[in-house]
Amino acid sequence: MKKALQWTVAALCALLAAALTVALLALPGAPVRLAAEVEAQLPASGVAHPVTAVLLNFRGYDTLLEVAVLLLALLGMLAAGAGPRALAVPPDPLLAVPPDPLLAGLARTLAPLMLLVAGYLLWAGAHRPGGAFQAGAVLAAAAVLLRLAGLLPAWARPGRRLRLAWAAGFALFLLAAAGGLAAGALLRYPPDWAGALILAIEAGLTFSLGLILAGLFLAGPEAPRGGGGA
Amino acid sequence: MATTELADPIPWLVLLPLAWATAAFVLGPGRGGRLAVAGLAVQAALALALAAEVLEAGPRRYAVGGWAAPLGIELLADGLAAFMLATTAAVALPVAVYARGYFRAVSRSDAHPKGATWFWPLTGYLVAALDVLFLAADLFNLYVGLELLGLAAVGLTALTGERAAVAAALRYLLASLLGSGAYLMGVALVYGAYGTVSLATLAPLIEPLPAVALAAGLMAAGLALKTALFPLHFWLPPAHGGAASPVSALLSALVVKASFYLLLRLWFGIYAPLTTAAAAQLLGALGAAAVVWGSVQALRQERLKMLVAYSTVAQLGYLFLVFPLATGTGPAAAAAAWGGALLQVLAHGLAKAAMFAAAGAMVLAAGRDAVAGLGGVGARLPLSLFAFALAGVTLMGLPPSGGFTAKWLLLRAALASGQWWWAAVLVVGGLLAAAYVFRVLRQAFLPVEAASTGGVPRSLEFAALALALGGVLLGLFGERPLALLGVG
Repeated sequence: MKKALQWTVAALCALLAAALTVALLALPGAPVRLAAEVEAQLPASGVAHPVTAVLLNFRGYDTLLEVAVLLLALLGMLAAGAGPRALAVPPDPLLAVPPDPLLAGLARTLAPLMLLVAGYLLWAGAHRPGGAFQAGAVLAAAAVLLRLAGLLPAWARPGRRLRLAWAAGFALFLLAAAGGLAAGALLRYPPDWAGALILAIEAGLTFSLGLILAGLFLAGPEAPRGGGGA
Repeated sequence: MATTELADPIPWLVLLPLAWATAAFVLGPGRGGRLAVAGLAVQAALALALAAEVLEAGPRRYAVGGWAAPLGIELLADGLAAFMLATTAAVALPVAVYARGYFRAVSRSDAHPKGATWFWPLTGYLVAALDVLFLAADLFNLYVGLELLGLAAVGLTALTGERAAVAAALRYLLASLLGSGAYLMGVALVYGAYGTVSLATLAPLIEPLPAVALAAGLMAAGLALKTALFPLHFWLPPAHGGAASPVSALLSALVVKASFYLLLRLWFGIYAPLTTAAAAQLLGALGAAAVVWGSVQALRQERLKMLVAYSTVAQLGYLFLVFPLATGTGPAAAAAAWGGALLQVLAHGLAKAAMFAAAGAMVLAAGRDAVAGLGGVGARLPLSLFAFALAGVTLMGLPPSGGFTAKWLLLRAALASGQWWWAAVLVVGGLLAAAYVFRVLRQAFLPVEAASTGGVPRSLEFAALALALGGVLLGLFGERPLALLGVG
């Protein structure tokens, strides 16, 4: 039964791969060329990098909702673990031993550097590849590193201050979106302010996304530390 | 000028639920109920204002950020969108009133899982996702809406934290991700072929290329999985039946309708040049199978909420009859089929929310979720039982309910297009629905079998009754919604 199911799934996957190949080989040249239009409107976007212009301005609405998706992923995790019989977390082998002095030392050195890199990525987003999502990922990585090195406790009971920090980036973005109504449409930035507004939104997002991504790792029930009752 | 733009309902329908959901999240576990009820009341007013505007002035496009499609994202408020937005508010507001009483009641009893913790923020994001989806006119924006909706729904399913609920939520998550993954692959193919994801820009360009046909197939399969179309319904009963009752009401009444709405939009929209009568008949046949299979399974369930959940599988089947009845048939049959299917969306939304709300109240009073344990409920919770029965009237399709009007329109479409076999599905489905509704009523009128475990707050019973009455009254006041659906 299980074998038959596996073969069926494999056959379906092979069929899909074949269909994709046929479809992609027969693909005509796209009649609509958005890149040219992005290029033409770039000066009005407030930033010099086309990807950031699309993400934060031309299609900022999608990005706003994607940030809500990330916040919601964290919320879903909290919801699933918040019940009376939260699933028991097996002890993390990395945390079962006392923190390695070498790892701890390295983490202490790397964490400030990662903070610096995150700040740079945020700033660079205006004119070259970078931006809030990349910067937030680096921030989160720093938090995970500190946690693995035993220098940062888990966020077993997220308090209101942490929740506020998680939500702040999205709330700021939402506020900017609503502020656009005064300029004529949802998420419309006045051209003179667009650059500054985008930087402010991205700074807020870097902060909150870093904490959200870190929260996916650090929040929730504390994994028991040490071996037997240590 | 600026004042009219500030009061435009379209952006606020999205902003408002996002704002109160985020505020409720910051406030903390179990908080935000009052905020939610206030937010949903305003949302209902906004949705009605938009519906009135669309009815009077016709469909309207809205360029987010002031960037017109295809560079930016455009929203579209036409009759169908306004109808779905009104449906969302009409169901969500009474359910929120119900949920406040429900979670207060379960927090006082030890016999029931709690689950109030993050209900309000999750519900806010869920409602926001529905509004995003119904206003979207862009394939990728629709995908983002689907993702937001799916995650919120999964979080709500897991809310009680019980092992069975978390397992059902995980299964739901995997089905939901597979569905949106298939949809996204379709979006990528369409973007590769045409260089745009704006529905308005795509509509005149679409032609039956292999890539477009594959995209349409992938999207239809993904959305059918998300709508739990038979035989892809496996994830629905444990998720809807195992969640906290206010959650079950939202999931069954609204969430599964969103992916159906999207399928409807694409099938009769950009993919209209590709649709064939054979594919339409296949969707109709799966819908018919869902009606029979879901009803028979509902008859066999031991647990009350599982019975109601299987009834959702059955009632969703009717919606898919629109595809054979409106693809390649005459304009009269197509209009009747559209009206019937969408009236069924609203009627089933109200009735199923009422049924889960009433079932939740009865389970709370009886102390356990079992059809056999309902003895005496009729005497103790007459209002809830009345609401359950009224909701049943809508599900069976008896006059004067909204379910009757919906099925009558579908029947007319079946006869007008010479497809009498779909009429048989409507009759059999109605009889089976009567069988499982009367199975519950019969138990509830039996004498008390165990010591009563106390009543439930009145707000629970009244909210369920309001929803059930809405489903019935829809049959008497169905012209305006139908007129709205004719716009655009």
